[in-house]
Amino acid sequence: MNRFLLGIMLIVLSWDTLSASERTILIGPKTIGPGWKDNILIQPEQFKNTGVGDMLTVYTIEVKRTAQMAFQDPKDWQAVSPEYGAVSVQGPVKMKITEDILSRIKERGLILGGHDYKITNVTLIPAAEIVETIVYKGPSLQMKDDWSASQPINKKVFKDVQLGDGIKFIVSKVQPGAAIKLMDMTWNLLDPAVNGAALGEDGFTWTISEQSQLIKLQLAASDGICMRVSGKGYKFEKIAIVRCTAEPDEDLSTAQRAPKEYKLQPGELFRGEKVFPNDWSGNLRLTAEPFQDCTPNDVLVVSYKLLPKQEGVWPKISFRENTGKWQDISGAEEPVWMDLNGTDIVLPFDETILDKLMTYGLVITGLGFELTRIELISAQ
Amino acid sequence: MYKMNGLLLFISLFSMFGCSNNETVAEQSEMAQTYQLVNPNATAETKKVFNVLAELYGNKIISGVTAHIDWNNKETENVYKWTGRYPAFNQYDFMNIHASKDVNPKGWLDYSDDTCVREWWNAGGLVGAMWHWQVPANNGTDKTSSPGTKPTETSFDPSKVFQSGTEENKIAMPQLEQVCGYLKKLQKAGIPVIWRPFHEAAGNTYEFEGGKAWFWWGAKGPEVYKQLWRDFYDYMVNQQGLNNLIWVWTAQTKDNVWYPGDDVVDIVGRDSYTALQYPLSKEFKQLSADYPTKMITLSECGNGDEVKMSQLSRIWEQGSRWSWFMTWYDYDYNEGNSDEHKFADEQWWKNAFAQPYVVTREQMKELLK
Repeated sequence: MNRFLLGIMLIVLSWDTLSASERTILIGPKTIGPGWKDNILIQPEQFKNTGVGDMLTVYTIEVKRTAQMAFQDPKDWQAVSPEYGAVSVQGPVKMKITEDILSRIKERGLILGGHDYKITNVTLIPAAEIVETIVYKGPSLQMKDDWSASQPINKKVFKDVQLGDGIKFIVSKVQPGAAIKLMDMTWNLLDPAVNGAALGEDGFTWTISEQSQLIKLQLAASDGICMRVSGKGYKFEKIAIVRCTAEPDEDLSTAQRAPKEYKLQPGELFRGEKVFPNDWSGNLRLTAEPFQDCTPNDVLVVSYKLLPKQEGVWPKISFRENTGKWQDISGAEEPVWMDLNGTDIVLPFDETILDKLMTYGLVITGLGFELTRIELISAQ
Repeated sequence: MYKMNGLLLFISLFSMFGCSNNETVAEQSEMAQTYQLVNPNATAETKKVFNVLAELYGNKIISGVTAHIDWNNKETENVYKWTGRYPAFNQYDFMNIHASKDVNPKGWLDYSDDTCVREWWNAGGLVGAMWHWQVPANNGTDKTSSPGTKPTETSFDPSKVFQSGTEENKIAMPQLEQVCGYLKKLQKAGIPVIWRPFHEAAGNTYEFEGGKAWFWWGAKGPEVYKQLWRDFYDYMVNQQGLNNLIWVWTAQTKDNVWYPGDDVVDIVGRDSYTALQYPLSKEFKQLSADYPTKMITLSECGNGDEVKMSQLSRIWEQGSRWSWFMTWYDYDYNEGNSDEHKFADEQWWKNAFAQPYVVTREQMKELLK
């Protein structure tokens, strides 16, 4: 009996320890290249133990100075909350899980998109491991729509800030289009990433990910002012330091892994593992750019693996022009579907196909297979 | 077959440009006669610029950039830094007239000080202007040109701009007078302006189901838009006496029904951020066929979100003969937030200026003498 109780206690203790750590839910790398065209869906099951107040952190590398990250709902590709539509990326990007966000991600998962950065991993930290300490209690200030208001902040407020902390600007009366701007003592931008950054009901958290940011917070004029909070469409109330006390969880067994990334070889237009599930949701878009020098009789060779057979599902593929209408690449009124039996598909270019490829590019759609490679072979 | 076409194209181009000087001059002269300014009272300088455009059309392409947001020559300096030469054409934007110091003491720029434009013109550069005309947003505080019902969009009705007594008229006329004032100053200084208002009116109406206009001037459809253009033309030319304007209308392709008319348009433009040589060539041919009495120009271009603009040499080889090309400005590059120019980088410009058919500012200065 005692052993049984001890066992239960150990299980509870270990579960508690597990749940109190920073748990990795996505293992990269996943490249989010230029032009808002790359993204990755974190599956809903990764959020099954997530609660309101937990913190999602996206760790990044190879970040361009103008990089932006979007947190999108797979339902309609809209931002899960307005302030997460285009977040400047300067290091790790954090998102606090609100009740509304939680219901979305538990049901449908979360899309990470944007441009010009690479994800190394994504983690979740339980709310219990996040400590918010109020370091500035006012006066509060209404940020007018003409951006004219600004609140000076003394450097003493930030004396305990450490690398990795978040500086949270707590706000109220948030209007649509609300934005925050942080300036230094000389009214220059404190951080180019916080120049009209969108904010929501939960305020705005500025993550201190570099030593240089810490130094800026200690650079003050003779009056001690090191920061000026400005913006529009909200009431500035308080500042808190947000610190995470969780330790990284070494167990990665349940984490989702990003698809392998391959370097394309000459002639290759795609290489990887792109699943075209049986619900018809899969497609791959190629722009007209790689087809600009094509000639008639060039061919496209499409390699794939069939997904495990499912009753009543016949794997098929279809080639469409890359416009809003997705007309069949052959010019046919109705889409042409090719049955897949496991052997490569070869698409020869006649004049119609060539014209469409060079003008619009190509969309591949279908079901029941995993696309592994697309190669463009010249007739020469 | 495609290669054969390429060969035929090369042969035809060779025969076109490889002919004797006399034939070329005759063809050019014929071309120049084909294209006429719509304003019979155009100033001598304006006629001169237009005739230079017409003479070059088909044989050369004029290099151009869009100014950094509004009223400066920053983008031209980028090109000079990369290549040692200036583009021939700089296009300004009246987007921020509400923040001009002559009408707004808290403003951050001053359109009434046109030193940058005068300097550019005096150095031999062509002057252009467009207008991202901003009107009050539905929330009453922001300014925007995006139509819609959201707080940050505008329900501004383009059909009421010239209707006395309407809210739209009360908002629009002071702005219009303000812009006319700046343009009159340029006219007085002998500076013609290649004028491209109300651009991309059809938006993506014809691109996909559910497509629509993305600027308020296109929000009520083609008939309202055409009337707006014609009233606008009448106001500026006939009522305000602006005779230094060369009027450029921007096509979205497949939007012929939006064309305001041969009598109020001098040049037809196309803006492209899928600027690949093959589709550009098709669009050029289509626009040339649709508007045979007008020169056709690439009024905006640059790398898009998904495709990198073709090298100018490839665009030319494919058969496009745009009057000018005009790369878009990069806010982040100009503000020091980015190391790469998003729309057209150093390498692209080096390729462009390596081509003998690309006209620089230095060459334009000679042509305008």
